[in-house]
Parts: sequence; C-alpha cells; structure tokens
Amino acid sequence: MKSVIIGQYIPGKGLFYKLDPRTKIIAVFLLMVSVFLFERIEQLLIALGVATLLLLVGKINIIRVIKGLKPIMILLIFTFIFQIMLNKQGQKVVEHDMYFTLFTLLFLVIAFILWRVMVKITKFRFTFFFLFVISIYLTLRYVDYGQTIIQPFNFAIYEDGITMSIFVVIRLLIIITLSTVLTLTTKPTDLTQGLEKLMHPLKKIGFDSESFALIISISLRYIPTIFDEANKIMMAQASRGADFSEGKLKDKLRQVISLLVPMFIIAFIRSEELANAMESRNFVPGEPRTRIHELTMSYRDTLATLFSFSVLILSIVLKVI
Amino acid sequence: MSYIEIQKLSYSYNEKTNVLDDINIDIEKGEWIAVLGHNGSGKSTLAKTLVGLLEPKTGDITIDGITLGEETAYEIRKKIGIVFQNPDNQFVGVTVKDDIAFGMENLCVPREEMLEKINFYAKKVNMLDFLDKEPATLSGGQKQRVAIAGILAMQSDIIIFDEATSMLDPYSKEELIQYIKTLHKDGLTIIMITHDINEALLADRILVMNKGKVFAFQETEKIMKDKETFTSSNLELPVALELANSLAQDDKFKEIRDKLWEYALTK
Ligand SMILES: Nc1ncnc2c1ncn2[C@@H]1O[C@H](COP(=O)(O)OP(=O)(O)OP(=O)(O)O)[C@@H](O)[C@H]1O
Ligand SMILES: [Mg+2]
Repeated sequence: MKSVIIGQYIPGKGLFYKLDPRTKIIAVFLLMVSVFLFERIEQLLIALGVATLLLLVGKINIIRVIKGLKPIMILLIFTFIFQIMLNKQGQKVVEHDMYFTLFTLLFLVIAFILWRVMVKITKFRFTFFFLFVISIYLTLRYVDYGQTIIQPFNFAIYEDGITMSIFVVIRLLIIITLSTVLTLTTKPTDLTQGLEKLMHPLKKIGFDSESFALIISISLRYIPTIFDEANKIMMAQASRGADFSEGKLKDKLRQVISLLVPMFIIAFIRSEELANAMESRNFVPGEPRTRIHELTMSYRDTLATLFSFSVLILSIVLKVI
Repeated sequence: MSYIEIQKLSYSYNEKTNVLDDINIDIEKGEWIAVLGHNGSGKSTLAKTLVGLLEPKTGDITIDGITLGEETAYEIRKKIGIVFQNPDNQFVGVTVKDDIAFGMENLCVPREEMLEKINFYAKKVNMLDFLDKEPATLSGGQKQRVAIAGILAMQSDIIIFDEATSMLDPYSKEELIQYIKTLHKDGLTIIMITHDINEALLADRILVMNKGKVFAFQETEKIMKDKETFTSSNLELPVALELANSLAQDDKFKEIRDKLWEYALTK
C-alpha cells in the first residue's frame, strides 16, 4: 500500500512541467471556454489537431492521456448514441425498419453473454462494449424472421444527428485531454497553491483561500495513511473470519460498517492530535506565514497565456462572424 | 531563577477531579528529565500545559523568564517543542521538506533562510537524502526524526518527548535514544515522558507522577537507590529490580536483594 498514487501526477520534464500552475489553470480555463464557443466541426477538428500537436511538443505520453479517457469512455459512447438517435434535423441519411422478434431476443442474449465473457477473459473492455452496441443495432436491423414481439418500427439517422454527435464527442475529448494534461504535469501541492493564489482576491468576499489550500494539502497528505489504515483494519477483521469479497448485500453492509466505525474513531483521534501538533508548532489560522514553495513565472508562462488568450479571441471572432 | 519553573500548577478536564494537582517543579537549562507514571497519571496533560495547548486552572508556568499566558503562548512555543507518540499524526507536510518548514513558515522565516535551515537540520537528523519523500514512504523512526528537525529549525531549545519511542521498533527506538543523547550533549533541555525505566535511567533527574501529583522528583542515582519510592510507586521495574523487591519480603535474602539493586543501577 506504500505506493498509492496521489492524483495522476507523473514526474517528468517537458514544456508543461516548466509552466507555473497558475498559468496552466488559467490556460486550461480559457481553452475550455473557447472549445465551447467553436460552432463548426472543422474548427473543432483543427482544435483537436492543435491539442494533439501540443501534447507531442510537450513530450506528454499520449498513452497516459488515452488511459485518462478510459473512465469516461462509456459516457462518450452513450452521448454519441443519444445524439444520433434523438437529433431529427437535416437530411435523412439512413432510414429503415427495425424488427424485434423472438430470434432478435435470442441473438441479443447471445451477444450479451459473449460480451460479458469477453470482458471477463480479455482486457479490451471498451472494444467489446462497443462491439456489443453495434451488434444490438445489427440484430435489430437484420433479424426479421420468427415470431414478432414488438411491431416493426422506423429508424432514421439524420445528417445533423451525425455531425452533432461527432461534435459533442470531440468537444468532450478536448476538454478531458486538457484537464488530464493539467493533472498529469502538475503536482497536487502546486495545483492547490496555484488555486490558492488565484482565489486570493476572493478574500474580499470572505473566502479564506489559504485555509482552503491547507485543508486540501492535508487531505492529500493523509490519503495514503488512511488507505494503509483501512487495509490494516480489514486484515485484522479478516484474521477474525470476516470476508470482504463474498457474501450477500446484508453481510457486505455489515462488513462495511465494521470498517467505517473504527476508521471514523481513529480519524477523530487523529484530527485532535494533528491540531495539537500544528498549534504547538505555532500555527495560528489566518495569521500571515511565509512559504517554502514559491511560484515563479517565466517567459514561457507569458507565451502560454498569450496563446490561450488568442485562441479565446479567435473563437469569439469566429462566433460573431 | 530556573529555566523552567512550574508553580502550584493544577488542571482539570471536567472541573471535578484535578488531573494535575498542585505541581511545583524547577528544571534547569540543559537538563534531561525523565517523567514516569502510570497510565492516566497526568504526564501528557503536564506536557500539553507546558506548550500552552491546555490552559492551567491555577498556577504559573515560566520559561526563560516568560510567564505562559494567552499573549505569550506564541513566544513560549518558539522555545519549546513537543514530539508526540504517533509519528503519523504530527506530520503536517506533504513531503519531509514541507514538514520541516511548517513551523518556520508559521514564524514567518524568509524563504532563503528556511531553505538553508532545512538542509542543515535535515543533515543533523540524518534525513538529507529524504527531503522530497512523502511520509507514507518513511518508517516511524524517520518520521520522528523529521519532527525533531522541525522543532530544531524553529530554534527551540527545549524538547518534550511524549512517549515518542513507544510506537517504534526496537532498532528505531535505540536509534532515537542515541539521537536524544546527542541533543542533550548539544545543550538542549529534554523532558522525556516514558514507560520504560531503562530509558528513564539515562536522564539526569526522574519525575514520578501519581494521580496528578508529583510523587518523587530526584536525581536518577538517588531515586534508584531509594527503594521505598519505587516499591510504593507500583511502576513496572526492570526484571532485576522486580526480583529484588519480591525478595525484600524475606530477611534471609537481604544480601541477594542488595546485590540485585546494585546490578540494576550500575547497568
Ligand atoms: N481530552 C480529555 N478529556 C477528558 N479527560 C481527559 C482528556 N485527556 C486525558 N484525560 C484524562 O486525564 C487523565 C490524565 O491523562 P493523561 O493523558 O495526562 O495521562 P498520561 O499520564 O499521559 O497517561 P498515559 O501513560 O496513558 O499516556 C486521565 O484520567 C485521562 O482519562
Ligand atoms: Mg500520555
């Protein structure tokens, strides 16, 4: 349990590592806004191309970024399907009847079983999910023999449906790539410090950005410790016969509670002791302190900010025209 | 005037029973004091009042001429640091470097000076190679040494150890004890709360607490010769002394008993 990764940060060199976290946060924000302003698919495709180019220039491991996309792959596929099915504008591209018969049902069950088996025995979960979705479509379209269960219904894909779905997916892809690059190349501590500095002006409306940053950095620091602790408690309970992997829902619930109760008690003791340790080292909330971490800007930061500003202006200009 | 003066100190958590009851102690600069006593005898409470984490019910604590109060707590804490029992619950920083810096940041030490001191004190506690390591990758003993470096970097010259070795493995424990010895040689004042009599024997003076009161406070040599104090304090003694005490019931074994006492004390 010693190597619990905090956040997604991977140490490295490249251009993006050299940028100040504040610059990166601002740039990501500006670029995301521009991506929302782009209205034509060509513009988005160019944006995607530029984003990929930037990844290459910054020597970012593209594989890591793709891995970062994995958790939202299903979301992307669903967005795509919904857009295609629900958007009924523009010219019809495809139109045909869909059938749902006893044989359709049989085929679907087989496809489902195949999909689950393949997911279990191979690593390509998303590929097979995708194949499963396609097989549903093909079955509904071509399997028209056997006892009808649902009357044949009309299915059509419209031009705008296709463009919009591609549009939305690319937009999501760019946004997620941007935020992945941010978390991949910025230490969590730097990220919090950057946020702290950027939110500093909010002090006027009563937001204490320093305490906020301290809370975040303490939470980050304690994540591995608490993981460790959960592990120890689980092992202690396993040694008394508890089994966390098996059992009915009711048993599982009991086991989760038996894990949570000691963890909360320990957390209370811990917070008390930590507060004591901090106070004895002269920490006074809200008082000025110096910082060991210093954020410094260089010409690179100016360039990066200029670049993202010009992209934003470009997107505004394109929208107005 | 002594370096640390505790006068008529009382404390209670619930207003009913006094956890600390009329404590009067003087400690000189550079002394090594061991504090012994049963669970719940008030050792940790005493330590917390000394650094101003708890406000005394009655009585005064004066350190280097400054009397502890709400306004002076900040000044007092510059002089006195505390290392707690659980190494994990006092590690504030995300890395070793951050943690050593934490106290200095609170004292508004300029960044350049902090960097110098971090290097200096990390080297002193043998943690220079670990500056960028996260606490999850350190052993308990290493974390305790980082805590010490943080206190030293604040230029404190009194360190309280509240059972700081009790969660360490025997090797790290011995290492930390050796390290405390060098701090003592450097002239720091050390107050070491412990349950381990062998550890206590290293101190110049031993304070035995019992039910919130000072049961005994004497030079280590003297207190160890004073069989009465130890027999009546019910503390867990080294095996030789335990044996001696049980032999004490019978006059026939008087000679053996005295030999055992001698052995335990000279060792
Ligand atoms: N936060 C608290 N609230 C109420 N009572 C407390 C609190 N902390 C300690 N006590 C009580 O005060 C008494 C002294 O506790 P203290 O922690 O000072 O003892 P100790 O000598 O350090 O014991 P140990 O050897 O177990 O560390 C105990 O009876 C304890 O139950
Ligand atoms: Mg205690």
